[in-house]
Amino acid sequence: MEITTSDLGLAARVQHLTKTYGAGAAGVRALDDVSVGIRRGQFTAIMGPSGSGKSTLMHIMAGLDAPTEGRAWIGDTEITGLGDVEMTILRRRRVGFIFQAFNLVPTLDALGNILLPFELDGRQPTALERARIDSLVERLGLASRLAHRPHELSGGQQQRVAIARALATAPDLVFADEPTGNLDSRSGREVLALLASASRDHGQSIAMVTHDAIAASHADRVLFLGDGRITADHPKQSAEQIAAHMLAAEVAA
Amino acid sequence: MSAVATVSRISPARSSSGRLHWLRERGMGASVLVSALAAAFGVILVEVTAYIGAVLQADPFIGDSETLAVVVMILSVLLVAVAMYVAAMVTANTFSTIIAGRTRRIALLRLIGASARSQRAEVTGQGFVVGLIGAVIGLASGVGFAALGVLIGESLLGVGAGDFTVLQPGVLFPVVGVALTTWLAAWIGSRRVLTVTPLQALGGSVERTHDDEAGRRGKHVGALVLIVVGVVLLAAGVVLGLITPLGVVVAFFGGLFSFTGLATASPLFMPPVLRLVGRLFGRGATARLAAENALRHPERSSRMAIGVVMGVALVTMFAVALESVKALMMRQSEGEFVDGFFAPMDAFASIMMVLVAVSAVIAAVGLVNLLTIGVVQRRRELGLLRAIGMTSTQVRRMVLLEAVHITVAATLTGLVLGVAYGWIAAQSLLGSVPVLPDYDPAGLVYPAVPWIPVAVIVVATAVLTVVAAVTPTRLATRVAPVEALAAD
Repeated sequence: MEITTSDLGLAARVQHLTKTYGAGAAGVRALDDVSVGIRRGQFTAIMGPSGSGKSTLMHIMAGLDAPTEGRAWIGDTEITGLGDVEMTILRRRRVGFIFQAFNLVPTLDALGNILLPFELDGRQPTALERARIDSLVERLGLASRLAHRPHELSGGQQQRVAIARALATAPDLVFADEPTGNLDSRSGREVLALLASASRDHGQSIAMVTHDAIAASHADRVLFLGDGRITADHPKQSAEQIAAHMLAAEVAA
Repeated sequence: MSAVATVSRISPARSSSGRLHWLRERGMGASVLVSALAAAFGVILVEVTAYIGAVLQADPFIGDSETLAVVVMILSVLLVAVAMYVAAMVTANTFSTIIAGRTRRIALLRLIGASARSQRAEVTGQGFVVGLIGAVIGLASGVGFAALGVLIGESLLGVGAGDFTVLQPGVLFPVVGVALTTWLAAWIGSRRVLTVTPLQALGGSVERTHDDEAGRRGKHVGALVLIVVGVVLLAAGVVLGLITPLGVVVAFFGGLFSFTGLATASPLFMPPVLRLVGRLFGRGATARLAAENALRHPERSSRMAIGVVMGVALVTMFAVALESVKALMMRQSEGEFVDGFFAPMDAFASIMMVLVAVSAVIAAVGLVNLLTIGVVQRRRELGLLRAIGMTSTQVRRMVLLEAVHITVAATLTGLVLGVAYGWIAAQSLLGSVPVLPDYDPAGLVYPAVPWIPVAVIVVATAVLTVVAAVTPTRLATRVAPVEALAAD
């Protein structure tokens, strides 16, 4: 019998993952036999320079892209080989997304954006979910902004609405792609603190792709990628340690 | 000053791959198509008018029947004007949509020193070229069709038209008209260029919605005056019609004024109609998103809808007017007319409907264009929706509902206006006609709505909607969820 993802205490994992773009000698190998798991309840940062394969890894883990070879699981569900509809419904119900920019639907107000995953599922949030959303809105300081449309919100507020949307369904895993990339440093710190507290206080599993050492220093665990492979796997580190590691990797390359 | 010159030289629209490479930009083709359609339609109608005139003159029995020629000419002018108006609105829409897509580039050029006016002049110049190309294509194809028609007419029907030639100088009116209106439409559609600020080049700005027309009532004063004057004339026509059939002439101008006013002021009254129709779709996520999208650029959606409104209203008007006239004549004669009596009237109505349908085709091209560019410009948003869990079936339904939204709102408005105008036409013409039993004037006539033409209109707009949505839905479902993450 196969060991399941949850037996391993993981929220998501990939095995022998390879992704190549193009064919033959001209092909680019974005991921090269990567096997890794994202631990349940942890805030994991995935770091690496551009072209290291960190975004590709996240796309595949989150069910946004298909690998060339290898397998991927979200919870105990193997997602490699799922059809487009099953995959979409899985993302809707079990994955949360926070992007660098353009996170919100401009025609919907903040509350409309937060409730969108439920509405796409054709249902109203249950009483329990409603309570969860209310407490999220409270914690994220969005109570007075719910009727505002995205263009009436600051970048930091928009990102907090995106966090509320990503956490609202209590997903197996939240993926954040450079969530502070478009923010000033203060709003960026706020967003990172909110993500860290969601994982620490509420047991939310979060995977964050970033190339910012300060952002990664908020995480419980830091994975380093280079040339399509995992080059290091460290527990919580300071921004200085992370920056030093990145610099060393760049000098070595 | 030299900076400006340099900037315009390096602007991509005039760069390396030929001066006209901007013509390949999405939406330009549609503008060429609609101006060509309008020009060809105009050319053909001019030819038909001239041909009928020639036939009548050559006929020894009818001789110089000036009246018929004049009536045909007035109708032709009206029909061509409607087609040109719809084409111009499609073009204005296309240009304002294209500019929305070019915002970043315009902002960058503004940032490094180009003036807003020079940027707008560039866009307007492109409109002129588009109009010119369309007009020339329309001229060639229109004259070609006319020549073919004359050949067929002579060989099949054996109708001689004396020394008729397809090279009528009159064809220059619609051709020049289309070139100029396209130019004007591009100028109107490019107003948005002036609102682009250099800051928008720096990115991170989130799209604003509902900003196009909010609080711009002042702009529509002229249109509102036209509507008021038109409505007064319509009422006067109806009252006058109780005394003399000439009431219809007064009502005609009332109709012309009020409809022009309504068309110009469409951004004022179409959004509420659109909003109302949006509520009919229910509260589901796809329905709500579709409803919001149709109202995202109220000015564009309204202009688009009014093209369909015009077609539907004109067809309904002819149908209702004719049916009301028939009903009254039945009353007058105790229903002793044989069916044959109405045949020429029905034939006339059918011809008018087919001719009006040309404008509907132009409106349909515009709808396809509006939806398609809308999808292309929303790729990241569609990617976001896909990422957070919208299935491609839901995407397809959303885009289709957007099209349905506009056509349903337009068809309803068109039917209401058409019934009103048709009834006013019949009433003002026949209110004074004596009827049985005691030959008193008819007084108030009830509007008679012929259900077959109405059913045809509804089915036709339904087909139009589905056809218009094919390309945009295909494009929309092709957007991959990863596109939400694209840096730009």
